[in-house]
Amino acid sequence: MRLCVCVLFVGVGLWTAGAPARADEAWSWFDSGKLLATGGVSEIEGAGGGGLANWALITGYGTRDSLGANLYYTAVPLPDYSLQSAGAAIGLDDRLEVSYAWQEFDTENVGALLGLGHGFRFHQNIFGAKLKLMGDAVYDQDSWVPQISVGLQHKENDRAAVIAAVGGKQSVGTDYYLAISKLFLAQSLLVNATLRETKANQLGLLGFGGDKHNEYSSQFEGSIAYLLSRSFAIGAEFRTKPSNLSIAHEDDAWDLFAAYFFNKNLSATLAYTDLGNIVIRDHQQGAYLSLQAGL
Amino acid sequence: MRKIFKLVALALPLLCGPARSQETLFDEMGGKTGIDHLVDISVDKYLADPRIKDIFSESNIDRIRSELKDQFCVVANGPCQYTGHSMAAAHKGLHLTNANFNALVEDLQDAMDECAIAFAVQNRFLARLAPMQHQVVTR
Amino acid sequence: MRLPSAERTVEVIGLRLRATLLALILAWPSPVTAADQTHTVVQKGRAFHPGEVTINRGESLTFTNDDEFIHQIYVEATDFGFDTDERNPGENVTESFTASGTFEVRCHIHPKMRLIVHVK
Repeated sequence: MRLCVCVLFVGVGLWTAGAPARADEAWSWFDSGKLLATGGVSEIEGAGGGGLANWALITGYGTRDSLGANLYYTAVPLPDYSLQSAGAAIGLDDRLEVSYAWQEFDTENVGALLGLGHGFRFHQNIFGAKLKLMGDAVYDQDSWVPQISVGLQHKENDRAAVIAAVGGKQSVGTDYYLAISKLFLAQSLLVNATLRETKANQLGLLGFGGDKHNEYSSQFEGSIAYLLSRSFAIGAEFRTKPSNLSIAHEDDAWDLFAAYFFNKNLSATLAYTDLGNIVIRDHQQGAYLSLQAGL
Repeated sequence: MRKIFKLVALALPLLCGPARSQETLFDEMGGKTGIDHLVDISVDKYLADPRIKDIFSESNIDRIRSELKDQFCVVANGPCQYTGHSMAAAHKGLHLTNANFNALVEDLQDAMDECAIAFAVQNRFLARLAPMQHQVVTR
Repeated sequence: MRLPSAERTVEVIGLRLRATLLALILAWPSPVTAADQTHTVVQKGRAFHPGEVTINRGESLTFTNDDEFIHQIYVEATDFGFDTDERNPGENVTESFTASGTFEVRCHIHPKMRLIVHVK
């Protein structure tokens, strides 16, 4: 899988390098041509989407004749843990999205209770790719056909030993997903639904597969966003997660969010999120704060 | 308890917003006068927008204003007739991109803001224009 | 008495030459009847090609739309004018110039298009 991801990145590099030489004279670098907010924001694993859910939209403001890119930082302070994520993503020709995300999961006091040490941290590197297959969420207002994308997120966790100790089977895993997004412009409503095949425990922060269940399972994530203005959207998200570990049941996660797009270079998302149980602590509800900068 | 229910029942229509209006999109955009004004403001913006003004350099602007007024009126379900060219025929030779199309949409959104057209109404109008991308964008 | 063969050959060649010349003269497009003459102007790239022509009174111009745009043509002058319907790419329109002078042929759709026509 690491080889596949490397090949993908090399391919993207070649695509980008060859772009200006293309016969199509419409191509330009970072044309910022997409309408505001139509690239989504950056979800917690680095892909273009909402906060918890991956969307079928391709990140950034580059149209199909250009590139778009984003950097983000997200903090999720919870009652007993904290989660941080930062990453970058590139959108090519509004068709291919390639992303990298770094995640840090700080166990704070729980780390001490589990004998790992106070503030014991898990880290994950997530390499993602998404390909738009068909449809256009924005232009296809005269059709029920949504925008459909497929993608993967390859995750590598740095705490293999601890993962094994809690019952996890692997420290490296890949999620595969199919996302559909549709903008019902007449109703100012953006709707997303994603089917994800995953073995990840707590998004991969506690490894992949477990003593209870060690197969891929189908999980669902969805978002609804209502556009109050060109710059401001509010909405809700929901994401189911598998429960592969016997040490703790994993809950579904949800959030209520508000996203503000200052311009095509800066956006901020504030959400209230409930990630449910994480290991020995229930009711992990807290704020979700994210800043995204890009083109 | 019953009094509270009655109060809530009476208040609900107010809470849910204005009653389902008899107004059509055409009315909500200010009728013919409002739409004509919108077209004039938006065409001024297209001609001032460095991203797309050159597209209009060889066009008959008066003619375009007049045709857009008719077309927008028709799109908003107003009592007008559009006698101009099809979107495909009118735009084919211009080799327009999505970036060109979106720039025009943004200028139109700015014009609708200036004409104090509510955002939700703007989106209902844009939803009818959006599919024109398929005929207008050829590059 | 029979002519010698060499002289006969020359005579035959001469006859054939005269016949050929006559045929050529008859077939040659003759600038004789002014009213029959048509010139072609091409509309392409939202411009007329050529941009200027000189014709005789009574002659016609055929405008061929070889462009990606719909065009029409008109002339507005004190003693002469026309205003045609629109023509799609691939279509033609022909107009006769029945007055002498210099005229500008324009397009309502594309105001920068100009063709100068000198009519003698």
